[in-house]
Amino acid sequence: MEDDDLCALLRQHASRHAAGDGLRARVRTQFTLQAAAQAPRARLRWRERLARIRPALAGVGGLALGVALTLSALLIVPRLHPDGTLPDQLVAAHVRALQVGPLYEVASSDRHTVKPWFQGRLDYAPTVLDAPLREQGYLLLGGRVQAVHGRPTATLAYQLRLHKIDLYQWPATPGAAPETLQRRGFNLAGWSDGAMQYWAVSDVDATELAHFASAWRAASALGGRQASPGHAEIQP
Amino acid sequence: MTDARRFEATVLPLLDAAHNLARWLLRDAAAAEDAVQEAALRAFRHFDSLRAHESAKPWFLGIVRNTCFTALARERGRADVTLLDEDAWDRLEAQSPSPVPDPLAALGTRREQVLVDAALRALSPPMREVIVLRELEGLDYRDIARIAGIPIGTVMSRLSRARAQLKRQLSLAGLP
Repeated sequence: MEDDDLCALLRQHASRHAAGDGLRARVRTQFTLQAAAQAPRARLRWRERLARIRPALAGVGGLALGVALTLSALLIVPRLHPDGTLPDQLVAAHVRALQVGPLYEVASSDRHTVKPWFQGRLDYAPTVLDAPLREQGYLLLGGRVQAVHGRPTATLAYQLRLHKIDLYQWPATPGAAPETLQRRGFNLAGWSDGAMQYWAVSDVDATELAHFASAWRAASALGGRQASPGHAEIQP
Repeated sequence: MTDARRFEATVLPLLDAAHNLARWLLRDAAAAEDAVQEAALRAFRHFDSLRAHESAKPWFLGIVRNTCFTALARERGRADVTLLDEDAWDRLEAQSPSPVPDPLAALGTRREQVLVDAALRALSPPMREVIVLRELEGLDYRDIARIAGIPIGTVMSRLSRARAQLKRQLSLAGLP
């Protein structure tokens, strides 16, 4: 076989995988989200700075660089920004996990796998519930540690049908009164059990998230907290 | 035109090539889509690295390619996901179909396509990369060198080794 024969074979017969409509739509949505997240003030500042450093880039290139830098900055800003309220930060963290991941660093629907995973990663033992919530349709996907307000925070990822629910928790005494909020189209539900402060963030509707919160509180009152982190499970 | 629109106009027409490359490198539909999406996000953040008058295709495919090789390395090391229970494995297995061609599906496809695809899949990822870029995407050596981050001489020697292996395997299979 000659090179030409091989080329002809490859060009004629090899599968070509075009991007599907779903992927196209997701990439477009991602652009829209990113574009909407651009902070006009920060962009201006970067443009000015750029204009000074690199006159050649001050035009179109500078604008593009500005947008790109603003976007990278935006990923850090929600944590550092002193004005970012807790709900805003939680939504930003949730969106970040959905967009760039990881949604979970330990993948398991078993709390005896997820809970020990947090050992040594946090200075508290988070509550992890699986079966009582699964019965109500909330499947535990796994857990991760994510920075919220600059502090590493235990985060559990649940799934309800196609929706993801992130549950953030940290020690707080006394906890705040239960509340539900909406930010940028996401619903939030916050509650406390006296030892821990919990915040659930998701795109499910407010009623369903409230149901998740009450299911969690009922299950944890029934002894979810008895699962101590003490027993050993070998980590790879 | 806003920046987002300009970026869209640059990258959206390249999605087919990006997805084809990712799919060939990762050999998995879901993983390829994830990689393209992640690459698009990275490209958006580093739009400044595309110089004026520079062709966007090798620039974007370079980002796609790096994303894919990172994903391959991660898959091998399983570095950032701890998998301990059966449920999680089952979920993952369900999400990633086997890379071996499905015999029933193959019956409906042309024999040549099945054989050529199998021969391509059998190449190592670096060799598969240069072949896909050269033969399926029709890029020149310079662009391939830029995408893969290797000298042009390496592109040429890798292509010739990949071709030799493909020829051997396709001849054994009775082609052309």
